[in-house]
Amino acid sequence: MAKTILIVDDSSSLRQVVSMALKGAGYDTIEACDGQDALNKLTGGKVHLIISDVNMPNMDGITFVKEVKKNPSYKFTPVIMLTTESQEGKKSEGQAAGAKAWVVKPFQPQQMLAAVAKLIMP
Amino acid sequence: MDLDSALLTYIAEGRELLEEMEDILLRLEHEEDKQESLNAIFRAAHTIKGSAGLFGLDDIVAFTHGVESLLDQMREGTMVLKPTITTLLLSSRDHISDLIDYVEAGGNKITDTLREKGDELTQQLNDLGVGVNQTAPETGVQKGLAPAPTETVSRVSGSHAESDNWHISLRFGPSSLCDGMDPLSFLRYLGTLGEIVNIKTLDDGIPPAEDMDSEACYLGFEVNFKSNADKQTIENVFDFIREESLVRILPPRSELADYIAHIHELPEEDMRLGEILVRSGSLTQLELDEALRQQSALQAQETSLPLGNIVVESGMTTQTVLDAAVAKQSQVREGKSKEAQSVRVDAEKLDELINLVGELVIAGAGSALNAMTTGNNVLIESVSILNGLVEEVRDSALRLRMVQIGATFNRFQRVVRDVSQELGKEIDLIITGAETELDKTVIEKIGDPLMHLVRNSIDHGIESPDLRQAQGKTSSGTLRLNAYHDSGSIVIEVSDDGAGLNRDRIQQKAIEKELITAEQQLEDQEIYNLIFEPGFSTADAVTNLSGRGVGMDVVKRNIEALRGSVELTSVPGKGTTFRVRMPLTLAIIDGFLVGVDKSSFVVPLDMVLECVELNQTNREDSVDRNYINLRGEVLPFIRLRELYMAGGVAPRRENVVVVQYGGNKAGLVVDHLLGEFQTVIKPLGNIFRHVKGVSGSTILGNGAVALILDVPGLVQEVASMEMRAMNSAA
Repeated sequence: MAKTILIVDDSSSLRQVVSMALKGAGYDTIEACDGQDALNKLTGGKVHLIISDVNMPNMDGITFVKEVKKNPSYKFTPVIMLTTESQEGKKSEGQAAGAKAWVVKPFQPQQMLAAVAKLIMP
Repeated sequence: MDLDSALLTYIAEGRELLEEMEDILLRLEHEEDKQESLNAIFRAAHTIKGSAGLFGLDDIVAFTHGVESLLDQMREGTMVLKPTITTLLLSSRDHISDLIDYVEAGGNKITDTLREKGDELTQQLNDLGVGVNQTAPETGVQKGLAPAPTETVSRVSGSHAESDNWHISLRFGPSSLCDGMDPLSFLRYLGTLGEIVNIKTLDDGIPPAEDMDSEACYLGFEVNFKSNADKQTIENVFDFIREESLVRILPPRSELADYIAHIHELPEEDMRLGEILVRSGSLTQLELDEALRQQSALQAQETSLPLGNIVVESGMTTQTVLDAAVAKQSQVREGKSKEAQSVRVDAEKLDELINLVGELVIAGAGSALNAMTTGNNVLIESVSILNGLVEEVRDSALRLRMVQIGATFNRFQRVVRDVSQELGKEIDLIITGAETELDKTVIEKIGDPLMHLVRNSIDHGIESPDLRQAQGKTSSGTLRLNAYHDSGSIVIEVSDDGAGLNRDRIQQKAIEKELITAEQQLEDQEIYNLIFEPGFSTADAVTNLSGRGVGMDVVKRNIEALRGSVELTSVPGKGTTFRVRMPLTLAIIDGFLVGVDKSSFVVPLDMVLECVELNQTNREDSVDRNYINLRGEVLPFIRLRELYMAGGVAPRRENVVVVQYGGNKAGLVVDHLLGEFQTVIKPLGNIFRHVKGVSGSTILGNGAVALILDVPGLVQEVASMEMRAMNSAA
C-alpha cells in the first residue's frame, strides 16, 4: 500500500503541485491549509510523512510540529519543514521542535521528491 | 488535474493575496497594533514567492524576494514603517500584479518595460538597506550546520582512500529514529546515486540489554560505495542527519587525482587553505565549517593546531591533497609578493614626467606673476586655481618615485641571520618605520652604505653570547633598523645594544695612525667621529665581513655624495647608533624666497623655523660677533650679503631667517623676505661642482635665476671658516 504524506500549506496552488509530484512518484497525499486543519486531518488515518510550511494563519508550522510530536502515534513520523532562506532562525526552531528535515522555498518539485525519498519509501 | 490547472489556481490565489496585501497596506498606517497585519502581508508575499518557484516563475521569485526581505525586517522591528515605505510596497504589489497578469497572458519571457520597472523597484528596496542582492537561492536544499564531533571515526580499514570506491562512515545519532530519520531509508536513497558495493553494520554501540533504550538508534555503517557523483552530492544525501550524526566521506583514489588537478588549475588568487580545499571539491563547505569550529574550540583550550592537521586527522581529506593545496597557496603568495600590485613603468618615462611637471611649476609661477601685473581679478583667480592643481600634480608625480624602505630593510634579515651564525652570535633584527617612503634613486644608492653599517654593528658592536651573559645582558643581541621623516629629510638609524665604542682604543689607534696627537684633548664625541676618518680600522682581526679596507670613511663619503650625512652616538656598554640623514627627494622642493640686494635665494622651506627682524639692538650687539640673542638662546648667524659678496648697502631693516638642520639652528641674514615659492631644482653645471653652500638653481617666474641654498653645507662651511679665522687669530 502506498504511503501517505500530509501536505500543510496555506497556498492551495503549492499544495496542488506538490501533491501532483508526490502522487506521480507513487505516494498518497492529504492536504491541509493550516496547522489546525492538519491536526484534524491527522486523526483520520495513518500518515507516514508530514510536509509543513512555517508561516500559516491560525496555527503556524512550529506550533503544529510541537503538537504532532506530542502524539505517540506520530512520534517517529518524519517532518519536512518548508523554510525560506531569509528565515534561517525558523529552521533551527523547527529542528528543535522535531522537524529535522527541511526544504527551502522556493523549490522545484524534484527537490521535494529528493527530500522525501531520503526519508521514506513510496 | 494537471500543471495548467494548478497554474490557474496559482494566478487566482496570487490575485487574492495581492488584494489582501493592498487592503492591509492602505490601512496599516492608521493601525495601533501593526504586528498582525505585517504578519499577514509577509505571509502573502511569502506564499506568492514560494509557489512561484514551483512553477518556475523566476522573475516573480526574484522580485518578491526583495519585498519579502523588507517585510521580514519590518516584522522583526528592524525597519520602521514610513509613508515612503508604504508607497514602495504598494508599487511593488502593483508590479507583482503586473507580473502575474503577464503570466496569465501566456508570456514566457518578461518584457523590457516590466524588467526595468522591477529593477527600479529592487534598487529602491536596496537603498533601504534590505539585503536583496543576496540573490534568491537556486538550490532547494539548504546547508545545515554540524556540531563538532568529539571523536574521530575509527575506520575499519585505514586504506579506503586508496581504493577506487568512495568510503562513507556513518554513525547515526541516538535520536535519529525518534526524529523519523530511518537509517535504512538514507542508505536506500544513497543507492540511487550509485552502487553500494559493500556495507558493514557496526553494532559496537549497542549497550547491554538492560541499559538499552528501545527507541534509540545505536547503529553505525561503513559503506563502500561506487558512484560518479561528487562529494557534495553524496554529502547532501545526509544533510538531514548531519546535526546529530557523524558522517565522513572519503574519496576514491581517482577522485584524489582530480582534486589535485583541480587545485593546480585554480586561478592565481590569494586564498585561504580551507577555501582552496573547498574549491577543489575535496572538502565540502560543511566540513570546513566543522573543522574551523574544532580549531577555535582547541584555541579556547589554548592548544592550537593548523587547519590542515585537523582536516586530515578527522578524515575529511588526505595528506596528499592537503600538500597540494599548501603548495598552491605558497606559490600564489610568492607570486603576489613579487608583483606587489604595481605597474612597472620605465624609470626614464617617470623622469621625463617629473621634468615636465617641473617646467609646469615654473610656467605656473610665471603666469601667476603676469596675471598679478594685469590686475585682472578674474584672471588672477583662475591662475591661482590652476596653480593649486599644478601643485597637486607635482606632489603626486613626486610620490610616483617614492618607494617604501621596507624592502631594503628586509634584505638585511638574511644578512643578519647569516653573519651572526658565521660569527657564533645570536642577533635579533627589529625593523621599524618600514613604511617610510623616500625617492627611488635615493633608496637604490643607500643599500651599500647601510649594508656596511649593519655588518659593522654585528661584527664590532654586538658581543658574543658568553660575553653578554657575563655582563648581565641577554645572550642574544638586538640590532634595530629604523626610518622616519624629519624636517624634509629621511633619517635611517642602525642601532645595536652592544658594547658601544671603545673610546680609549679609538684614541690610541688614531694616535698610531697619526690622525691626532697624544696631546690633543678631545671630547668623547670628537673621538667617536674619528672612525669616519680615512684609513681608520680598529678590528683586531680582519674578519671576512668588515675590515676589508672599506672603512667607515667610505660609508661617510658615499652618503655625503647623496647630499646626506651620517652621525653616531654611543654609550659604553649600552650600544651604538648610527644615524644617516638623506634628502627626501631630489627634484622639486617647497622653497622660501629671500632677497639680498638684487639677487634672490631659495631656502628649502622644510628647514625654515621662523623669521625675525634683525633690530637695531641686535645689530649693535653683533658688530664683531656673528650671533644674536634669540629669546635667550644663542643663535649664530651668517650674512648672506657678506658671504656672497652681494653689492649694495644693507637696508635699515634686515631680516633673519632661522633655519634648522639636524639638531642645530642658525640664522641667515637677508634684506627682504619674498615668501613661499615652489621650486624645481636645476642642477648646477659642472663648473660649479665645487661651490659649497649652494645645492642648485631655479628659474623664477620673471625668468631670473635664483640659487638654492644648501643649508647644511652652508652651516658647515661657515663653521669651518670661523674655525680657520680663530686658528689664524690664535
